[in-house]
Amino acid sequence: MNYPAASAIKEIWQKDPRTLAATWLDNRQAQWDVVALRRQCPCAECVDETSGARKLVPEQIAESVRPLVIRSVGRYAMAIEFSDGHRTGIYTYDLLRKLSQQ
Amino acid sequence: MSLLTRIFKKSPNPLPPPPPPREEAPKARPTAKTAGQHKPEQLGGQALSGVRQIIAVASGKGGVGKSTSAVNLAYCLIALGYKVGLLDADIYGPSLAIMTGVGNPEEMQGALVVPPIHQGIKMISVAMFASASSAQILRGPMAGNMIKQFLTNVAWGELDYLLIDYPPGTGDIQLTISQTASLAGAIMITSPQEIALADVRKAIAMFGTLKVPVLGIIETMSYFICDSCDKKHFIFTQGGGAKLAAEFALPLLGQIPLAAEITASSDEGKPLSLHRTSSPAAQAYRAAAEQCLSELGRLSQQNTAALGSFTLHWKQ
Ligand SMILES: Nc1ncnc2c1ncn2[C@@H]1O[C@H](COP(=O)(O)OP(=O)(O)OP(=O)(O)O)[C@@H](O)[C@H]1O
Ligand SMILES: [Mg+2]
Ligand SMILES: [Zn+2]
Repeated sequence: MNYPAASAIKEIWQKDPRTLAATWLDNRQAQWDVVALRRQCPCAECVDETSGARKLVPEQIAESVRPLVIRSVGRYAMAIEFSDGHRTGIYTYDLLRKLSQQ
Repeated sequence: MSLLTRIFKKSPNPLPPPPPPREEAPKARPTAKTAGQHKPEQLGGQALSGVRQIIAVASGKGGVGKSTSAVNLAYCLIALGYKVGLLDADIYGPSLAIMTGVGNPEEMQGALVVPPIHQGIKMISVAMFASASSAQILRGPMAGNMIKQFLTNVAWGELDYLLIDYPPGTGDIQLTISQTASLAGAIMITSPQEIALADVRKAIAMFGTLKVPVLGIIETMSYFICDSCDKKHFIFTQGGGAKLAAEFALPLLGQIPLAAEITASSDEGKPLSLHRTSSPAAQAYRAAAEQCLSELGRLSQQNTAALGSFTLHWKQ
């Protein structure tokens, strides 16, 4: 099955202690601050499912939080396990595309 | 008893029942939340295993020329030397038999219905199984189930491309089809008018949610070539297709002229792309078919460059 370029990843790597980097299939580069990713976790624990309102309070997430392991989910998303024990966030490529700093 | 069997019972040639439904995993309903979190399961392994790529011909909007385009594209693909199948999935407005004059299925191969072949194209349409009036009363889940069976209980055999002529709209039936078949791509059909665009946008969004790549846009009834001067006359608002293409960064795969001969040839069951290949409309369809294929090819190539599964351990 084919997927649109915007939602597939060509390469992904750890750029520095708190920056995740990737190249999309259309060769655009993306970077994410991992602490910001943790604060923007889209899981049901962090975001109210019906209202879409954020339940997580960003200030309660320590600046020292880091991923432990990042795994692909299907072809459209990745799951991140964080050092604070939080592991329910599935970040779709669509969401990551929005969150990235070019 | 399955729906297809029940409908068969009413038809002149009763056929043995299709196999019992497979055990289905809990269904991933494509709500905004779950869509994209589950890959749609590929059902109908046996029926669809020989089909290389399944392509949706869809719009969201009714009456814009989906069926006409699906039929003409199918004949173009056959002419290019591919093995082609065509599924008319429009329960409420079956038209394939009228447009092509294809006959009814007459055989079974094991538990699968053997599709009739018209000029090399394997064709299945709702109209082959039920009178138009009984098809009209099928609603919601029943209709969805029936379409599923057209995909999974038909001996499609070896095909390069199976085109699915979508019913208008973006409801449950369209979702069911898109989830039952693992679609390689969707071709969006639109007319140039602004009023068509809103529905086409919805359909593009639906395929986006399901991660089905949209190959591009074919604009129908784009311009009129009159007999007296060979010029293109733009009758409707110009540029609806181009506008959509720009908006979604999609290729405009083709612009099909408004041609009385398209309607006439459809009504007579003699599709232009089969009977009058040199007409401007047939040529436009031919060019569009080639564009679709190159777009499919491009997507497949990209696909191989994409990272499959990965695990990244963070260095602390
Ligand atoms: N390029 C064209 N020039 C002239 N008439 C056309 C053209 N394309 C389609 N038509 C005519 O427009 C009408 C609608 O076309 P068609 O049935 O293909 O649309 P559709 O999108 O499949 O409709 P529905 O939503 O009802 O399934 C038909 O009468 C058809 O012959
Ligand atoms: Mg139609
Ligand atoms: Zn979370």
